[in-house]
Amino acid sequence: MDSLVRDCEKLSKHQTASMNKTLASIEASIRALQHAQTDASALAKAHAQSQQTQETAAEQLKELATNVAKYGKHVERTFKVDLGVVAESRAFEHKAGELGRAIALHFLRSGEFGLARSFAAEDASLAEDAGLAGAWGRFSAMHELVAQVHARELGPALAWAQEHRAQLEALGLGLEFALHRLRFLQLIEEGEPGRALAYARAWFPPAAGARLAEISHLMGVLMYARRLHASPYAALFDGGRWADGARAVAAAFCAVAGDAAASPLAVSVAAGARALAVVGKVSGLLRDRRVEWSQQDELPVEVPLPDAMRFHSVFACPVSKEQASRDNPPMALPCGHVVCRASLDKLARGVRPGAVASGRFKCSYCPQLVTMGDAQRVHF
Amino acid sequence: MDKINVDYMLAIEEPFLKVPLEQLKREARQSQKLAERETQLVTSGLADLMKKQGSLPPEEYSRTLDGLIDKLKVLKRKLEESKQEETLLINRSKQRAADLNELSDFTSATQPEFQRWSRTRLERVLIDYMLRSGNVNTAKQIMEKSNLEHFADSSLFALVMSTERELREQHSCRGALHWCAENRSALRKIQSSLEFELRLQEFIEMIRGKRNPEAIAYAKKHLITWSDTQLPRIQRAMTLLAFSPTTTCLPYKNMFDVARWDGLAHEFRMVIFRLYNLPSQPLLHLLLQTGLSALKTPACQSDDASEHNRNCPVCQTDTLGKLAEGLPLSHHSNSNLVCRITGEKMNEDNPPMRLPNGYVYSLSSLTEMSKKLGGMVKCPRSGEMFMLKDAKKLFIS
Repeated sequence: MDSLVRDCEKLSKHQTASMNKTLASIEASIRALQHAQTDASALAKAHAQSQQTQETAAEQLKELATNVAKYGKHVERTFKVDLGVVAESRAFEHKAGELGRAIALHFLRSGEFGLARSFAAEDASLAEDAGLAGAWGRFSAMHELVAQVHARELGPALAWAQEHRAQLEALGLGLEFALHRLRFLQLIEEGEPGRALAYARAWFPPAAGARLAEISHLMGVLMYARRLHASPYAALFDGGRWADGARAVAAAFCAVAGDAAASPLAVSVAAGARALAVVGKVSGLLRDRRVEWSQQDELPVEVPLPDAMRFHSVFACPVSKEQASRDNPPMALPCGHVVCRASLDKLARGVRPGAVASGRFKCSYCPQLVTMGDAQRVHF
Repeated sequence: MDKINVDYMLAIEEPFLKVPLEQLKREARQSQKLAERETQLVTSGLADLMKKQGSLPPEEYSRTLDGLIDKLKVLKRKLEESKQEETLLINRSKQRAADLNELSDFTSATQPEFQRWSRTRLERVLIDYMLRSGNVNTAKQIMEKSNLEHFADSSLFALVMSTERELREQHSCRGALHWCAENRSALRKIQSSLEFELRLQEFIEMIRGKRNPEAIAYAKKHLITWSDTQLPRIQRAMTLLAFSPTTTCLPYKNMFDVARWDGLAHEFRMVIFRLYNLPSQPLLHLLLQTGLSALKTPACQSDDASEHNRNCPVCQTDTLGKLAEGLPLSHHSNSNLVCRITGEKMNEDNPPMRLPNGYVYSLSSLTEMSKKLGGMVKCPRSGEMFMLKDAKKLFIS
């Protein structure tokens, strides 16, 4: 890619030079013709100049076209996936509404209300989409809270966290304490240790159960209230804590509302950016066999995705290499090894070596002898 | 697995560089042809003038010369415009190549720079989608918000939209034919018959308007040039002269069908996309189709909502989940276990633990829970309570 950037720089120089030479030569011709206008004896000279311009233009512009073509060849060599073989026009047929809604939701959750409004007004598929109204209200409330935290105004976020205390606890989210902590530090920073202490006494004890150590650490800051930035607590006052707090509010808000933590559209596109080249390569091969990649039950290849994009457990039987399913669930043996039920049946029937009489057979992965009855269905 | 496979991400970006490149090629070719033709005309004009110089009245001499000077001035102006356009296209190509070049600096998917880059990619993919579907205002707003004008092919899509509209709504081939004339050699190279189809449509409209003599003259001028490849269709077109637009006789009924205009609009779009090497579908479609497929697992489609994960795009049943219906499931030849409580990966470092009821969670999540519950753990799916020590480690190969 680096070389493509350099190609463009070179091309830019060539283009300027070629065009300038051509234009200068045309100007010379114009001057020569103008001269011939006043002095008829200069006509032959003008003709010669015009011939020269003709040659210069032909030569320079041809060279330019060659340089452009050279750069073009380089571009073609760089990219190897033919997107045309992936393009599948039927896959999203009649689904414009769902796609439109997914895009509108992406705008709303990103706080781009202007974009959402413009898109809803423009896109025909969204004309009568009532489902968006709820999301609109929800995400504007969320962005209102987030904006307040960025503005270092914690009241609304705290009120929200208190209102949803039970849900946040059930989700294991300690948002309320995190906000109290922010407020406590804010009071210290504003030079109000007295108010900070009163605040701590009011709000820290209820959270003390699991956070006693953290609270006692925090209380120590009162000793340094006048010289915070030279204290061991200086790191607590990093400006990034407001952005962290805002992110925590957004995350908790999404969790309570049942919205995804990250934009599903952005996640899907990021996954697609990893998958498209992989699918592109095999779909070229599939097409030779007159098979469309998108018409299969399962992708023919594995797409490497980062852990952050793995949302469900997938169990592939180490014996059969098949993915577990409802009809062929994963079974754990007492030794802790797991295989699919179909593989287990085969083992028990003695199709594989290791089978012993009396219903006992050897685990595929360790010497332990087990029976069918020992195996337990597991749920990941 | 947080590594980024730069090659994969790069491999799909051809259209991003191809559009300004094709535009640049076209611009360079056009200015080359124009300059060749015009300078040649001026030179031969001057040669002529030299021959006749003695016999020509002075005002005639002066007028001819003025004409040639004007020609050169017009050429100069056009080349200056061309130069400007080329500079813009080269800069655009460079900016795009530089953007792709940034990819090679990224090492991890969690890097903030990579995430910023990915956000910009999503924005340009959305701009492409908006421009293709005619949501021009939304496209413009995204561009302005993030300064992405140089990543958008606005002029190309504006041309596509306006030409399509002209075909579909005004039933006029004017713009489309003009475009064909400008790109005749490229169209010949890909053996496109778009121009013939447009000519045929104009011919049909003349018959519909009961202007048969005009239609015949038109056929002589514009259809006959296609006789090498389209003779049977030209013959059928001529037969159309014998029918009225209300005929029920096939295939002549179909030729009079106004739906042909929609077909032409679609054909125009496909041909222009082919010339610019653009996929027929927006990149957003391709990324979503492959991305959703790569994310899709049997759990996403389960009727049991507790199998769904709110963070999973395919589990968004009323939006992306619908789009994923009918797409292939992801392929896995190795197990990949995710803890239902924390969403963390379960592996040797954080092994899967089986509770006595058969439900499996990560060791770290169960340990954390047992601290709060005095050594007990509660299965979030069944509600049963167990002692942490009764959880058994599983070995997944």
